[in-house]
Amino acid sequence: MAYKHFEAIEKHAGLLGVLIAIMVSLGGLAEITPLFMEAHSVKPPPGVQPYDALRLMGRDVYVENGCYLCHSQMIRALRFETERYGHYSTAAESVYDRPFQWGSKRTGPDLARVGGKYSDEWQRLHLMAPRQLVPQSNMPGYPWLAQNKLDGADVQARMRTLRRLGDPYTDAQIAAAPAAVAGKTEMDALIAYLQGLGIDNEPRPPVGGAAAAGAAPASDGGTP
Amino acid sequence: MSTGWSLWVMFLVVLNMGITFFLYLWGPRAKIPTLPDGTSGHVWAHGVLREGVRRLPLWWVLFSGAMFVAGFTYLALFPGFGSFKGLLDWTSHGELARAVAANDARLDPLLERFRLYPVEQLAGDRQARAMGKVLFEDNCAACHQRSGKGNILLGAPNLTDDDWLYGGSGDDITTSIHDGRSGVMPPWASLGEDNVDNLVQYVLSLSGSPHDAAKAAAGKPLFATCAACHGPDGKGNQALGAPNLTDHIWLYGGTVADIHQTVHDGRQGHMPAWGTRLTADQIHVLAAYVYHWSHPTDDDKH
Repeated sequence: MAYKHFEAIEKHAGLLGVLIAIMVSLGGLAEITPLFMEAHSVKPPPGVQPYDALRLMGRDVYVENGCYLCHSQMIRALRFETERYGHYSTAAESVYDRPFQWGSKRTGPDLARVGGKYSDEWQRLHLMAPRQLVPQSNMPGYPWLAQNKLDGADVQARMRTLRRLGDPYTDAQIAAAPAAVAGKTEMDALIAYLQGLGIDNEPRPPVGGAAAAGAAPASDGGTP
Repeated sequence: MSTGWSLWVMFLVVLNMGITFFLYLWGPRAKIPTLPDGTSGHVWAHGVLREGVRRLPLWWVLFSGAMFVAGFTYLALFPGFGSFKGLLDWTSHGELARAVAANDARLDPLLERFRLYPVEQLAGDRQARAMGKVLFEDNCAACHQRSGKGNILLGAPNLTDDDWLYGGSGDDITTSIHDGRSGVMPPWASLGEDNVDNLVQYVLSLSGSPHDAAKAAAGKPLFATCAACHGPDGKGNQALGAPNLTDHIWLYGGTVADIHQTVHDGRQGHMPAWGTRLTADQIHVLAAYVYHWSHPTDDDKH
């Protein structure tokens, strides 16, 4: 390579742009592509099921209302997070989340394991007007959710779409969906979704105790 | 990561580091054709802008060299080069385990001491209360408020008075936290509106609150049904979590409208079980913190 080639790069913005793009993309090719291509090998652990009809609608209410703008669902492997929120999150727990709700945005607390932490009634009152329970909260109220009724045909369409993407919904589950959401409001759905978050899918410590230092499964992020 | 993708990452790392390191070595030695006026002859804007030729500044050469040293050292010590684990064998989960172990080692002597005392005695310990306060604010304050005064919207009881739904001994409080509590008051709308009104007045009369004496007298015979849980004299039953109706403490509010709603529609109070979220030591300390509110010790008065 001789110096004269640099004159061409310096003087042609298009060529310079292409070469910069190639160099910058090396990082992405190394960090993103392998994880992206191997995502299908992440299998749901026992206890992680596709969302049932009501919780599926709740998940969509959660996304529609932008809850993710303040709340993440990813407990990082840091002591100050595991002390407060519980066991750190694993990729396998989120296999049925589209879009996933990971992040470290903590305007509000992380919700990855909030299921069962509060009563249903607490969740309802808190969603209606958060400050009647937590005076120092800056979360807005979502009272209209209690007015909006769910549509049974709509939930079936969503389940069929997810099945096409690979979620193992059975015909029986889809057929039963309208009955499961009949008469329910968006508020009921969101509470059902929240109360299910992190329930029964916390990674179990290896049996025997001594094995705790051993290799964790790849889905746990332990052994890549 | 499979072997194929590991090799892919290694290839890209070598390519990226190789290109930049080659440029770093070659840059200072490059033979740059220089015109007599000290420029490279590269011109822009019809000769208005010309490119001068200068040696690379020493600080830049040293700084870039240091960055390469840092980069190569990082790849040798930490995971990053494909599936190579790094010489330190570092993982984020290992780091967490170390942080947890270090914290446990710091707290263990304290917790060992706390375990020696029953809740009632531990409540007098300032360090236990300091730990309990943090745990309470993280886990309990959402319902009971930071002050412990409770919330009548939820029926979350005031923990600072001496009125206990399920008993106020250290063991009772520990059980309430560990297993949670579910209080169920059935709805009595089926009695009819008049009877509910009369019952409300009778309930008000139990605590000597202002009430309509005639309606209260009419409601009294109906209270026989309520007595199954609240007792014949309305003093409640801690085995069931049935509140005492003769004090002036109202779990869901003490206005006529509040009591009417309680009788008419019933109430379902639910405290989640914390045995799955908190350790036995944490619950022990929390119980002491809660117990202290209704049993202040001498050192609070200072």
